[in-house]
Amino acid sequence: MKIIGIRHLSPAGAWYVKKTLDQRNPDVVLIEGPSDFSALIPEMAKREVKPPFAVLAYTEELPIETILYPFSIYSPEYQAMLWAVSRGKECRFIDLPSEIFLALSCACADIEEKMRQQECGEEARSVIYEKMDELCGEEDHETFWERTMEHCSSEEEYIEGSRQFGICLRQLEDEMEQDAHGCSRMENILRESYMKAQIEKVVCEGWSEEKIVVVTGAYHVEGLEHLVSAMTEEEFQKLPKKVSKKTLMPYSYYRLSNRSGYGAGNKAPAYYEMIWDALREGKPENVAYQYLASIASYSRQAGGMVSTAEVIDAVRLSQVLAQMKGDALPTLRDLRDAAVTCMGHGSFGEIAVAVAQAEIGTKIGEIPQGVVQTSVQSDFLRLLEELRLEKYKTLTAQELRLDLREKLNVKSELAARIDLRRSYFLHRLRILDISFAKWQDSRQERATWAESWLMQWTPEAEIQIVEAIVKGDTIEKAASFVLKERMEAAPGIAAMTQVLEDAFLCGLENSVHYAVAALQQTAVEEASLPEIGEALRHLSMIVQYGDIRNLDHTRMTPLMQQLFLRACLIMVQSCSCDDEAAKKMMDAIDAVHETQIRHDFLEEDPLIASLLQVARRDDLNAKLSGFCAALLLERSQMEEEELSREVQRRISRGVPAELGAGWLEGLSKKNHYGLIARLSLWRSLSEYVDTLDEEEFKRALVFLRRAFSDFSAKEKDQIAENLGEIWQLNREQTSEVLNAELKKEEQELLESLDEFDFGDFDDL
Amino acid sequence: MAQEQGIQRLPAEQLYQKEIEALIAAEQDPIPTGWKMSPRSVFTYLAGGKVKDTVITPKYIGNKRLVEISIATLVTDRALLLIGDPGTAKSWLSEHLTAAINGDSTKVIQGTAGTTEEQIRYSWNYAMLIADGPSERAMIKTPVYRAMETGTIARIEEISRCASEVQDALISILSEKRIAIPELGTELAAKKGFSVIATANTRDKGVNTMSAALKRRFNIVVLPNPSDLASEMEIVKTRVAQLSQNLDLEASLPEDDVVGKVCTIFRELRAGMTLDGKQKVKPANSVLSTAEAISLLANSMALAGSFGDGKITDYELAAALQGAIVKDEEKDGIVWKEYLENIMKKRGAKWLGLYQECRELNG
Repeated sequence: MKIIGIRHLSPAGAWYVKKTLDQRNPDVVLIEGPSDFSALIPEMAKREVKPPFAVLAYTEELPIETILYPFSIYSPEYQAMLWAVSRGKECRFIDLPSEIFLALSCACADIEEKMRQQECGEEARSVIYEKMDELCGEEDHETFWERTMEHCSSEEEYIEGSRQFGICLRQLEDEMEQDAHGCSRMENILRESYMKAQIEKVVCEGWSEEKIVVVTGAYHVEGLEHLVSAMTEEEFQKLPKKVSKKTLMPYSYYRLSNRSGYGAGNKAPAYYEMIWDALREGKPENVAYQYLASIASYSRQAGGMVSTAEVIDAVRLSQVLAQMKGDALPTLRDLRDAAVTCMGHGSFGEIAVAVAQAEIGTKIGEIPQGVVQTSVQSDFLRLLEELRLEKYKTLTAQELRLDLREKLNVKSELAARIDLRRSYFLHRLRILDISFAKWQDSRQERATWAESWLMQWTPEAEIQIVEAIVKGDTIEKAASFVLKERMEAAPGIAAMTQVLEDAFLCGLENSVHYAVAALQQTAVEEASLPEIGEALRHLSMIVQYGDIRNLDHTRMTPLMQQLFLRACLIMVQSCSCDDEAAKKMMDAIDAVHETQIRHDFLEEDPLIASLLQVARRDDLNAKLSGFCAALLLERSQMEEEELSREVQRRISRGVPAELGAGWLEGLSKKNHYGLIARLSLWRSLSEYVDTLDEEEFKRALVFLRRAFSDFSAKEKDQIAENLGEIWQLNREQTSEVLNAELKKEEQELLESLDEFDFGDFDDL
Repeated sequence: MAQEQGIQRLPAEQLYQKEIEALIAAEQDPIPTGWKMSPRSVFTYLAGGKVKDTVITPKYIGNKRLVEISIATLVTDRALLLIGDPGTAKSWLSEHLTAAINGDSTKVIQGTAGTTEEQIRYSWNYAMLIADGPSERAMIKTPVYRAMETGTIARIEEISRCASEVQDALISILSEKRIAIPELGTELAAKKGFSVIATANTRDKGVNTMSAALKRRFNIVVLPNPSDLASEMEIVKTRVAQLSQNLDLEASLPEDDVVGKVCTIFRELRAGMTLDGKQKVKPANSVLSTAEAISLLANSMALAGSFGDGKITDYELAAALQGAIVKDEEKDGIVWKEYLENIMKKRGAKWLGLYQECRELNG
């Protein structure tokens, strides 16, 4: 039996495993990997399956746990599989089944929580790695690996080297973990004894021990060779299990580079593929040429100027850098530093994009349809077909316009509402973060029956679909799951209504009901006026357009009534706030007001009572009082007479100018025309200005200017008309003066007033 | 040695003669043509370490990788351009590189606005030129010329201060590696081992931009500001110690506490925020480089040695800080004052003395 220790995702490892297999020509190839994945081996080794791909195992119960085993073209395990399958040899995974891994990782998390105070396995290991790097004079572990393992020149060297590495690592771990037995340590013992049992099982089946090759991580070589005894069947039964499912999914180099940690990821997949290609060609020195040339070509594509001479210089520099470490071949770090120095003119930023492309790349794996499919994938394809959306599954972006209204000229009920069902489907994809369709939110146009989507298929979307499997078996279930999770995590009722709206857009009746119930509970407790306003706005939209989406919205009525009532009750107290908060309050009051107008199941009386109170009281925020007065005017709940009385009271000589102006500003926020048309208002204003002495006038001017700043030229024109009438003046002249650009000295005067006044009022 | 006594500042190769000799004696790796020691030994010389019984002091504190890249560049006979803020040890590194590689760091051209092309290539002793006509004897060789003749490294300081035609003169030398001498009808071809180390400043005002053509002739290494307080303090401490030895200052070396304060203030005013990143500070207009921190401390040592009790007190430090930070009376004065009131005042008892002295001075 030959045990080959490898590093996961190691091109040299893959190459030497292949060579060793060719030499020894074993009958059985055993690979470190969950044993329940063995059934997938023939699928994975199919010619149509293009790496990178990954095997995903996940639990079905909550909370969902997943483990992921990515494979790339340069994974030793993948090459071993390919070798065995193409020659019709027996090939199996021999590590603990994924259901035990999933259960163990939960158990470990618990234990680690308990022994936080002690140093754990992972940490000890990183300390060991740091020490090793220090001894070898390398600055990071990745470079150490590359220099010592990937640059091996023969299979004997690689295999023996990795074996020794594993032995040393175990020794060091022993030394560092005298008292504390870290979880990873225990897990490793379990795994090794299980693997040993699996190997013994193969021997028992009658395979010749001479004809077995085991491919496993360098760490486990010694354990398998003579340390651990095989796990018995009883022992195996005692291990915790979690019911799990597994699936094969395409993977991308980008994701591979994002994952960190030993075995799970690889920072520079595209670069490692270059190493693999160079090894296959038998010219490992080509890596440097290819890497630097591709950086040059990528930066040229990005508009950078890189000459061939610079590439040559970079190659030479990288070689010298390697020689200084006593190595013949440059590592990625040498190459990258050489590229920065020669092509990037000393700054990494200049070639960062090119480096990302050369090191990570955009490669995405492929799993042909019908190989292994998750239920979500099949559900997705079935829906595409049913909703006749297949033609959008292309790489070019296309726009899809939906008309959600029922079509009356078609026969079947299904066809009549096809666009609506499409909309549900696409919204569900959106909730699941599947990038197939992008929503062009066009609600501003107020045409709620129309929706526009930008459709573009990417292989990345395929990965996202597969990943949705951990959330549910079908698109619908997964979407409901996500909404439920979001609902539970929502920080306040405004966020919750957002979820509710999404549920509504997805046409998920159950989620809507769940959200409504949750909202109701929270709304009873503390919720501020701005939050309620936001919530009411969303709810109003849902109820108003619920019919188009074919959704029963009667359940929302009580919720809205409840929220509305609460808003009315807390409105008065909420209005005593500073100007900063007043903006939000104003939005909220406006939302409450508009919602009430739209829905007749909301009673007007409590709102009006509150508005009147706010409008009349002097101790609240003046802006909000003005705003409420404006709303009352709009609802014809305030007589002209009362208005002019209010104006006189609010803007009179005794009242500080900024309060009066604030009130006026609030009043003018809602309806300019309503104000302009009321002559009495302007008359009171004019009288007020007349009463001021020069100093007071200067103060008032600043605030009055602000109050009228968002009036348009035409509106100012009409004000001029009013004032002209009051002052018995020519209307054109007044208008001209009001609308004229400020002269320079006037501008300066005003600016100086600004400064003067604000300083003054701070002291008040 | 008697001759060396009176010299203000010895060149690196004499200052560290023992270390260089020890490295050469212990050499095991192959030595590139024209070099005195192997690239690895050059690295040890700069980064510090131990050879047999001789301790090699670290010359460049900071990212060692940049040193490796610089050395490797020179091995490939490419020219090296060191770029960085003032005080990031560009000249320092270039001097020590040539000291270790050639045992001679004196082939220097100081780039100024007045540098001419002749100072890069060669010029003539006009008396002899008129008397005897052009001959090799009448020629005045520049450092670059001599470096080419001997296959060693020439240094050009502040290359970006030279006018562009002077920079252009370098282009042909660096790419052809030869200088034509039409007056003598010959040309000088550079010997193996010839290279150029140039330094350029990124933050200085009144510099010429370098042409892309010239930049392409160089491998560019950007030297960063010290990455954290600890490494900056280490740099300052080592350099101040060396300086005070050279200048025979009669004051005791600044305590860690003092160095820490100066570095903290400089770093905060440079970065525009406090070290913990919690508070914004208005950044100073002056560069406030590490080099300035070093000279500031040496300055206060001189003050303390000559007029005080030989120990740097808050009084001396405040005066030195004021001088270093407030260069433009109006703007910097405000920045400094704000810093004093908003940051330093709230730092507690340890900073109180310094704060009071500074406030006194800044009015």
